[in-house]
Amino acid sequence: MPPSAMDRGFETVPSIALTDPAADPDAWLAGGAGTLAGLRSAGSFLLVLVVLAVFAARVPAFLGTANLGLILAQSSVLGILGLGLTLVLITGGTDVVAGGIDLSLAGTHGLSAAAFAGLNQAGAGDAACVAAALGTGLAVGLVNAIAVLRLRIPPLLATLATMNICAGLELVITENTTIPAASPLIEWLGGTGPLDVPVLGYLLLAVALTLAASLRLTALGPRASAVGAHPEAARAAGLSIGRYRAGSYLASGLSGGLAGIASVAFLNSATGGSADMLLPVVATAFLGVVFSRRLVPTVPGTLLAALFVGSLTNGFQLLHVSTYWVNGIEGALILAVVGATAASAKGHAA
Amino acid sequence: MSLVTVERRRLALPAAEIVRFGIPIALVLVLVAFSAAAPGFLTVANVTGVLVNNVALAAIVAIAMTLAVAAGGTDLSVGTAVDLGSLAFITAIGAGQPVALAGLYGLLAGIGTGLFNALLIARLSITPFLATLGTLFIGHSLQQLTTDGGNPVYVPADRIPAALAVLGHGAVLGVPLALWLVLILGVGARLLLERTRFGREVLAVGTQVEVAIHSGLPVRRILALVYVASAAVAALAGILLSAHVNAYVPYAGNAYLLDSIGAAFIGTSLSRNRRPNIPGTILGVVLFAFVTNGLLLVGWNFYWQQVGTGVLIFSTLALAFAGPRLHA
Repeated sequence: MPPSAMDRGFETVPSIALTDPAADPDAWLAGGAGTLAGLRSAGSFLLVLVVLAVFAARVPAFLGTANLGLILAQSSVLGILGLGLTLVLITGGTDVVAGGIDLSLAGTHGLSAAAFAGLNQAGAGDAACVAAALGTGLAVGLVNAIAVLRLRIPPLLATLATMNICAGLELVITENTTIPAASPLIEWLGGTGPLDVPVLGYLLLAVALTLAASLRLTALGPRASAVGAHPEAARAAGLSIGRYRAGSYLASGLSGGLAGIASVAFLNSATGGSADMLLPVVATAFLGVVFSRRLVPTVPGTLLAALFVGSLTNGFQLLHVSTYWVNGIEGALILAVVGATAASAKGHAA
Repeated sequence: MSLVTVERRRLALPAAEIVRFGIPIALVLVLVAFSAAAPGFLTVANVTGVLVNNVALAAIVAIAMTLAVAAGGTDLSVGTAVDLGSLAFITAIGAGQPVALAGLYGLLAGIGTGLFNALLIARLSITPFLATLGTLFIGHSLQQLTTDGGNPVYVPADRIPAALAVLGHGAVLGVPLALWLVLILGVGARLLLERTRFGREVLAVGTQVEVAIHSGLPVRRILALVYVASAAVAALAGILLSAHVNAYVPYAGNAYLLDSIGAAFIGTSLSRNRRPNIPGTILGVVLFAFVTNGLLLVGWNFYWQQVGTGVLIFSTLALAFAGPRLHA
């Protein structure tokens, strides 16, 4: 077997994403096709249900429609960004270094929000603002695609650089202040829709549904997964790997633009500091992996992860737990979920 | 399958040789361009200032990151180790402990962070990226809880021991202590990675983990040691940082995270087989620092500086990764 194929051999077993192959080669080699695969993610679901049950038992209002709608709206920006990253992970593979990753997403969302709010303040109409925000996202996605596929810069580095450029441009536009924004669109997006659920919540669900449908109902999904997990097989089957990966960066950029609009609607302004979203977005997309049966990134998995993180923050607020604890408990839960998944994968192999 | 291989290797090797010098070339271009554009750039005072203020601590953190990258992972909690090292150190100083003992506490805080990572990675088999991401989140909470939401901890002026000023501002043979530490850690890590059996094992785990496993290497133990070492080195940067400013500033360490990742990976272009290496990492840190400083001196405002730094780093990456991917 030629060495380059050996290198890529790691990508050919999708379920290695969370269990370290170094730690247990047998578990690693046995992964993927196991009959107990369902049990692994069942553990993660169980943990999520337990946490939600604790919240619901302590604060009855937690499960009220109004609060559930609020959770959806609070999770919308993180969720849309996480879904964008998920597309890149599906198409690029989940190896953090060699596979697909888009660190620029948080920056893209900030820059798009700034573009939207900046134009809004300059008196532009909603159509122009939306075009600017989505166009910004697409442009960043295009730069990422060119950097990764033409210039062959590893995605981790290329998108790290574009993140810095986006964060810088965001500062140039906002001059590190908050730009307020008001328009019919913002008012509608920030408002409440049917069933007391905020429109932003519907937006998140609509994005997730659209993505899930186009990945499930068309050949796009299997092909994108093939490009990510089995690039050589995909190539042999005649798929253009470059075109799929470029498409994933463009889609991811677009989701950054959309998240920018959503955050303007949520906050009625563009605020700085969007780079702080970077790690939560990455955490959400990777946490989503444990909600899929085969331990691969999926749209429903990421949606669930975003909603889980959102309900944690919300639940802690309802329980009057100091917000200082939120990050740590989120981190510990991520580790618990991922660790439990890794451990059951090991048990399955034994 | 062989078709794929041929296509991947289509470009001739000499191109790869040129590419190896992408970062040095970029650094020379940056130095030449800025010394032409800004008169104060290539002065002893400015260069020393950049090396002490912008390079030293970033380089130490980047050395820590390089260890993890060499083992095939990423340590997203280097900043957490910096912060916890700094917190333990300053708390001990504030309690009137001698500087040496406080330094030991700082180092132990770092080792504790590393042990936590090691437990997650080596024992619970969580991938380093997610494990250290979890540590980062937990570390964030820990700092919020201990500082009432993120208030800096200052050492009262009347309690600052003389030794602290020496540690933070002292020099040996005219070279500031921080730079000596970079030199010692850099040479040490370089020798460890390139000249010792352990270093070769680390690189083996990082390059071909499957081969490492089947060769009977104690992969878990190697990973555990790497993450403890990484956090311990990062904690040294934290101690130095707080000695320099007589304070602990919450989350200050995270400022080094992305640059250290950038430097460690950009540095791989310096090695023939694209492996993480200390000289490449240090060159990466130096490049970042001089670009930032140069843009400041030519009078770009703070906001445009970040754009400029991003664009220049992007260009460097394009230069450094042009041509064949030997390690694809």
